[in-house]
Amino acid sequence: MLSNKSEQFIIELRMYLMSKGKNDAEINELTEELEDHLQQAEAEGKVPEHIVGESPREYMKSIGKEMGFDFRQIASLAPMTALLIIAYFSFAPAIEGTFSISKIGIGVSIFLCLLSFAVYGFLLVNVLPKLFHSKWFYGVIAVAYTILTGLFVVVILWEQKTNAEPFFIATPLQNNLILLACIMFFIIFAIYSKSWITILIPFFLSWGPVANRFIPESVNEDPMLITITVVLVVLITIVGGVLLFRKRRVQ
Amino acid sequence: MSTTSQMLKGLLDGSLLALIAKGETYGYEIIEKLQEHKFAVVSEGSIYPVLMRLQKNNLVSTVMRKSPSGPKRKYYTITEDGIVELERFKEHWDQLSQGVSSLLEEGDGKNAVQ
Repeated sequence: MLSNKSEQFIIELRMYLMSKGKNDAEINELTEELEDHLQQAEAEGKVPEHIVGESPREYMKSIGKEMGFDFRQIASLAPMTALLIIAYFSFAPAIEGTFSISKIGIGVSIFLCLLSFAVYGFLLVNVLPKLFHSKWFYGVIAVAYTILTGLFVVVILWEQKTNAEPFFIATPLQNNLILLACIMFFIIFAIYSKSWITILIPFFLSWGPVANRFIPESVNEDPMLITITVVLVVLITIVGGVLLFRKRRVQ
Repeated sequence: MSTTSQMLKGLLDGSLLALIAKGETYGYEIIEKLQEHKFAVVSEGSIYPVLMRLQKNNLVSTVMRKSPSGPKRKYYTITEDGIVELERFKEHWDQLSQGVSSLLEEGDGKNAVQ
């Protein structure tokens, strides 16, 4: 078993290298090698400074310099992620049948995409490594996601309010095609990243728009039904949260 | 950085290559062998950037295997290119050490005369 300090160093190194666009396989190989070294050194009573020197940050830099920038990985991951964000925000209007694009919307969305990459890099290097073992780790990620999603929602609402001239309004057929393209992209990204998350999030996000499209307006605007739904959602969230918390404690 | 550690830094590439040339080995064992030879590195981890460089330049080849202690371990062996590079390093070292020794001895001689 590694000491907390060594484990912390490995986490920081991994995130530092990830943020610098290094190859995943190389990062894994190196961290495994260093873990093995630290484990043996600690078994002989050495402290981590003995291995990484007085300045862990300097050591990380020296490693980073040797690894080079994995252009192929970033070249595929950055556009994939940008497309993923676009797909998230296209598929809800597509389900509702109201997909449209305005010039201002495009400009602000590109700016937000770039901003999200910068925030991601900052969190990965400066914030998340320090919180890896803390319950705040997921808290910070959740807050970052919420703020980002919130910003996009603000843009959409603001666009609707200012009546920004859309230069493209999708026909019903185009809406269905956009929806199909989004679903296909979610599946492709899930296979690429080997994670269900890009399918699960849109699945849950789609309930609202689906309901909006297929449930009659009279039912949709009934205050009684809205209240019951809100209470139910809050209850499910609390129960889910408590169950998750208990499960973690048992572990 | 002290003069010694700066000198060692420049020699680390060739020295690690020479160690790996003696037979398949891995990170921690390399450190132990360096210490046996009284080769003081700045910090133990400083060999890894060098090992990465050697691997990148195709001077060593690596294989990951399970270690007796649990995690996977990376083993290094020298390549054909590595052997050529090692010979070049030996030649350079001979020239360099002869040059420096002769220079220092000459200096000592003059000092003795004065």
